[in-house]
Amino acid sequence: MDIAMCFALFIPLLGFLFLVACSGHIQRHSAGIVACSTIFLSFLTFAVLLGISLYTGQHREQVTLFNWIPMAQMKADFALALDPLSFLMCLIVTGVSFLIHVYSIGYMEEEPDFARYFAFLNFFVFAMLLLALAGDLLLLFVGWEGVGIASYLLIGFWYERPKAAAAATKAFVVNRIGDLGLLLAILLSFHLFGTTNMDAMFGQAIHQFSPDSMTMTILTALLFIGAMGKSAQLPLHIWLADAMEGPTPVSALIHAATMVTAGVYLVVRMHPLFLLAPDTLMCIGVIGGVTSLFAALAAVGQSELKRVLAYSTISQLGLMFLACGVGAFYAAMFHLMTHAFMKALLFLSAGNVIHMLHGKIDMKDMGGLSKVFTKTHIFFLIGVFAMAGIPPLAAFFSKDLILEQEYEAGFKTLFYIGITSSLLTGFYLMRAYCLTFLGPLKIDSSTPRSLNEAPQVMLWPVGILAFLSLTAGFMGFAFGKKPFLERFLAEVGVTLSEPLPPTDFIFSFETWLSIFVAVLGVGGAFLLYTRFKGLLGSPIAILQRAFYLDEIFWYGIAYPLRWVSKFVGSCIEPKIFEGMLQLVAHSAQGIAKEFQKLQNGQIRSYAALMVVGSLFLLLYLSAI
Amino acid sequence: MDLLFFASTALFAIGICGILTGRNALIFFLSIEMMLNAANLLFVLFARHWGNYTGQMWVFFVLVVAAAEAAVGLAIVINLFRSRQRVDVDQFNRLRE
Repeated sequence: MDIAMCFALFIPLLGFLFLVACSGHIQRHSAGIVACSTIFLSFLTFAVLLGISLYTGQHREQVTLFNWIPMAQMKADFALALDPLSFLMCLIVTGVSFLIHVYSIGYMEEEPDFARYFAFLNFFVFAMLLLALAGDLLLLFVGWEGVGIASYLLIGFWYERPKAAAAATKAFVVNRIGDLGLLLAILLSFHLFGTTNMDAMFGQAIHQFSPDSMTMTILTALLFIGAMGKSAQLPLHIWLADAMEGPTPVSALIHAATMVTAGVYLVVRMHPLFLLAPDTLMCIGVIGGVTSLFAALAAVGQSELKRVLAYSTISQLGLMFLACGVGAFYAAMFHLMTHAFMKALLFLSAGNVIHMLHGKIDMKDMGGLSKVFTKTHIFFLIGVFAMAGIPPLAAFFSKDLILEQEYEAGFKTLFYIGITSSLLTGFYLMRAYCLTFLGPLKIDSSTPRSLNEAPQVMLWPVGILAFLSLTAGFMGFAFGKKPFLERFLAEVGVTLSEPLPPTDFIFSFETWLSIFVAVLGVGGAFLLYTRFKGLLGSPIAILQRAFYLDEIFWYGIAYPLRWVSKFVGSCIEPKIFEGMLQLVAHSAQGIAKEFQKLQNGQIRSYAALMVVGSLFLLLYLSAI
Repeated sequence: MDLLFFASTALFAIGICGILTGRNALIFFLSIEMMLNAANLLFVLFARHWGNYTGQMWVFFVLVVAAAEAAVGLAIVINLFRSRQRVDVDQFNRLRE
């Protein structure tokens, strides 16, 4: 089982190395096949392992490969832990990745740098699996930085576009702020516990610290800052919308389905610590709620299809943190899973449209495309309904679980914030659907002559994701007993804050309310954008610019910093530091010039100097 | 004995003066040989004085080295003359650059 686990982890890395070594010599076709098959093998291995572990009932496997920083005080093991939580994460990552890899073969068919793209994608999967499987906080950090690098490389995949390069840099820099938090958390936990092994940490923390202790609050707050950066929570969300400059499958895989959920995963993974710090949990809940509402409002104002989905991702991640905030970690993981399917579905359907329109991204230039994209528009619609929470599609179960938990835990304000963002979710997604697929067909000079439905290789993965979005919700649903997923995750302590009675699946007030708002959002947007389109002006500027937070960061932080650096560069650096250096250099040069005169090339003067020198030597020798 | 010692010193001094004042490369050689022979004379002198013949043996070494040096040096002088048509050492100062 150890070997199989390592195999599943390292085969994407092998694929990456192979593709890097052979890029340039390898045919496009085979590069795609190599990349897809490594991911598929990895997925298959995890699936088989899951089957074995369910059969034997042994759900926790730990393996320490080696100690990668051997020092006396410090033990940094390359320790992998396969438990129900990492099982779920690994299956989501490899499963969705595989579909998106296959999709990419179609999407990137005209791309000259085919092998580089797949190499990066494989590297991403490896880093993400490392992050999910790590049993040691330091090793988790390695995976964490690995996915960061992969994200940077893939956002900037079309590096010759200045916007893409800038977006990649922005993502990297903003993530660095979060990473600093995580790094400090690792150092602090090493200081506190003398180890970074998660199990050891949890064991010690419960004995050493009383709940609500200051130390635990600081440690978990630092961990959460790391999660905020990666999962694009306020105020570190600014990179995610710009990250849409990357290829659409990358947006689907990294910036919607998997990497951005790493923050949620981190919080859930470290939940024994978070449970000791109720203040931090409260804070997480508030930030998650505010982010969710904020991003949902911003999504309403976006005019680019992918940006709507990006803000939608931020909003849904906010909901997951909202669930974490009340201790409903299971609800967060459940929503993470359904969200991965739904958001990948939405992104890939959008990718179909963008690909066949040759890179047009603005919804102003679209419209009436349902006549062309006869299949894609149905898939997109499934995604819209699933995300909005129309029963019995996926998000109906997962999002409602979150809202229900919020309600049960007594956070009424957060509950209504969640309901509002849920309403907006249906609204902005339906708006995107109407603007893209309904209305009159817009054809202008830049529209490709022969507009077709996407090829089969791109439709199949979308279809599978649509099926998953339709059905995944039932994994968290069962009559008469606790659903399978909940029981499975409960083994690592990932549960709900207020466990529901197992038989209780009644349509309570909150359920009715959330169904009502979902229908209201979707229906309202549909009516508004089809029947009463004349009433609408252009999108409200403040929403379109996402409350000007980007500008505030530019003018508030980036420009002053730039100004300070310019001042240092133009005044302090040349005058003070360079002046000192030049003083040293010039004085050495001056001394050397004097001595240079001795070396005039005249052999007789050399001889004379030699004689004088010998005389001095003689005098000196006779003196002693 | 004293006389010979003075003769050796004088020979050495003449050699130095020759180098410091002369311009001709051949005079240089002459002066160098003179100084070497001044040293040789001292070797022989002291060897005899102390009754130890190691010094006399050294003279042969010096002679051999001097011969070799003369061969190399004269070759250089000939080449210098070929390239510049003169053997004035003050003209040859290009090597400092």
